[in-house]
Amino acid sequence: MIPVRCFTCGKVIGSVWEEFTKRSESEDAGAVLDDLGINRYCCRRMLLSHVKLVDILSPYQ
Amino acid sequence: MMALVQNAAEGYKKMEIDAIELSDSKAKIIIKDTTNAFVNSLRRVMLSEVPTLVIDDVNIYDNTSVLFDEQIALRLGLIPIKTDLKSYNLPEECSCNGEGCTMCQLSLTLSVEGPKMVYSGDIISADPSVYPADPKIPIIELKEDQKLFLEAIARLGLGKTHAKWQAGVACGYKNLSKITITNCDACGICVEACPQNIIELQCTTAVVTDPLKCTLCKLCEDACDIDAITVDQDESVVILNFESDGSYTAKELIIEASNVLQEKASTLKQILQTLQ
Ligand SMILES: [Zn+2]
Ligand SMILES: [Zn+2]
Repeated sequence: MIPVRCFTCGKVIGSVWEEFTKRSESEDAGAVLDDLGINRYCCRRMLLSHVKLVDILSPYQ
Repeated sequence: MMALVQNAAEGYKKMEIDAIELSDSKAKIIIKDTTNAFVNSLRRVMLSEVPTLVIDDVNIYDNTSVLFDEQIALRLGLIPIKTDLKSYNLPEECSCNGEGCTMCQLSLTLSVEGPKMVYSGDIISADPSVYPADPKIPIIELKEDQKLFLEAIARLGLGKTHAKWQAGVACGYKNLSKITITNCDACGICVEACPQNIIELQCTTAVVTDPLKCTLCKLCEDACDIDAITVDQDESVVILNFESDGSYTAKELIIEASNVLQEKASTLKQILQTLQ
């Protein structure tokens, strides 16, 4: 799951995750982040480097 | 210290405040005739001493999701909740002596079944005027037959106890830059050097277009061959930048921070007066 907040500054970034993943399929990821108001690089790396594991783990529950 | 001495010599000047940017979540404020020390104390209060309401205790009755109970509890704790300081007390200042009552605790429930993405907006609060500030924060994705049923208790707390209670995000300040350009030969090297692109050539001299954007990097000073440009900072003018996590609007946050600061000062005054 995407972390709720940025590890470094504490800004809530979880809420833009779904829009970010959806839009970055067709648009430039950097431009999407700018548009979503994720300006600092600490917050940007939270979204850019996140790997979704729920689908991989859930069969073994 | 220099600035303090200077201010004392000039006599007391009332500070001037101007909001350059003020939205619900973000603010940029320019304060004139002040000191770094004062603005820093405001900044520190915003980070660590403005109380916010946050989930602090979680009773999990059923959790068959992919996350451990502890991880769910952590995620719930990080969700900012719209805080109304008038209707809630800090547990240690409450009339119940921290035992827990309706004046210092808020109960929230979350009961969901998969398949479903669970959002912060699915949390049901016992007090309809207090709810998660952002309803779109994903908590956990539930697959078929997975369940999550829990009760959470939110309390007021301070950012110095745990970062989840921190109301201010990315608070920082800088002095206003004072860029002086004398005997410029309009070679344009400084225009190239400025990473903020705030220097422009006008006829025979370079001109600063927006001193607020200056980061005081002094690259223009280094680039100039004839030492025509100098960058200084005006220590009586401070630009304060801050964001709110959502529990308050940016304006409410700085007002609450000043209230906390004011209360501290008046407590100090009271104690000193009783000493005589
Ligand atoms: Zn960040
Ligand atoms: Zn109480």
